Amino acid sequence: MSGHSNYPEWIYVAVVIALMAWVGAEAWNAERLVEHIPEGAEVIKVTGQQWFWTFEHEDGTKEIGELHVEVGKAYKFEIMSKDVIHSFNIHDYVVLMDAVPGRVNTVWFAPTDVGEHDIQCREYCGLIHYNMRGTLYVEEAST
Amino acid sequence: MKGMFELLLILAVLVMIPAVDLAFAAGDEPGEYLDRRVIIWNLFFRMMTVAFTVGAVVAGTMIWLVWRFRESHPKAKPTAYEGTDWSN
Repeated sequence: MSGHSNYPEWIYVAVVIALMAWVGAEAWNAERLVEHIPEGAEVIKVTGQQWFWTFEHEDGTKEIGELHVEVGKAYKFEIMSKDVIHSFNIHDYVVLMDAVPGRVNTVWFAPTDVGEHDIQCREYCGLIHYNMRGTLYVEEAST
Repeated sequence: MKGMFELLLILAVLVMIPAVDLAFAAGDEPGEYLDRRVIIWNLFFRMMTVAFTVGAVVAGTMIWLVWRFRESHPKAKPTAYEGTDWSN
């Protein structure tokens, strides 16, 4: 090292490290919040197979291609696959989780408004992947 | 001796990472109701702000470098080898 001061370089290095630490911390915190399942979340077993979705509620009720939930309640999806890798996606609620054969993946959400939303497969899973869709019906709370 | 210090530092970090992870990880206590759309999109917009700011600073620095250190800049100082007769 000869003849010049290199402190600006160290400032640059420090700024880069600080930015990376901040970005990492923010992302980690968001992930922690989003993955932390609230108490009393109803478990819904989601099974993906070529080329439709099956839902099983805690009380044993089964639905195919459509899912009825209540506004203001938390739901925990336990996502499985019977054949190939699928990906369970409710785009409007930013729910996205792979359905992998031999594995149970979980993701939770709490619908905030009454309405209908698309459910779709987000992992190419064969010929009819494009039509592996469903509908989420968010209804008024029953109690 | 310096190698030893670095080794110990690496070991200390390796021990600390899982400890910090455990301390801050989501425990058994239930999480709160939140709108994941808000959390995720907010994170996205903040990260985009950082990305564009950093991008602007880096691009600006490069533009300034090219402008300032061009040969025709009034304050340009020719480097030692410019105009040197290499046959000597």
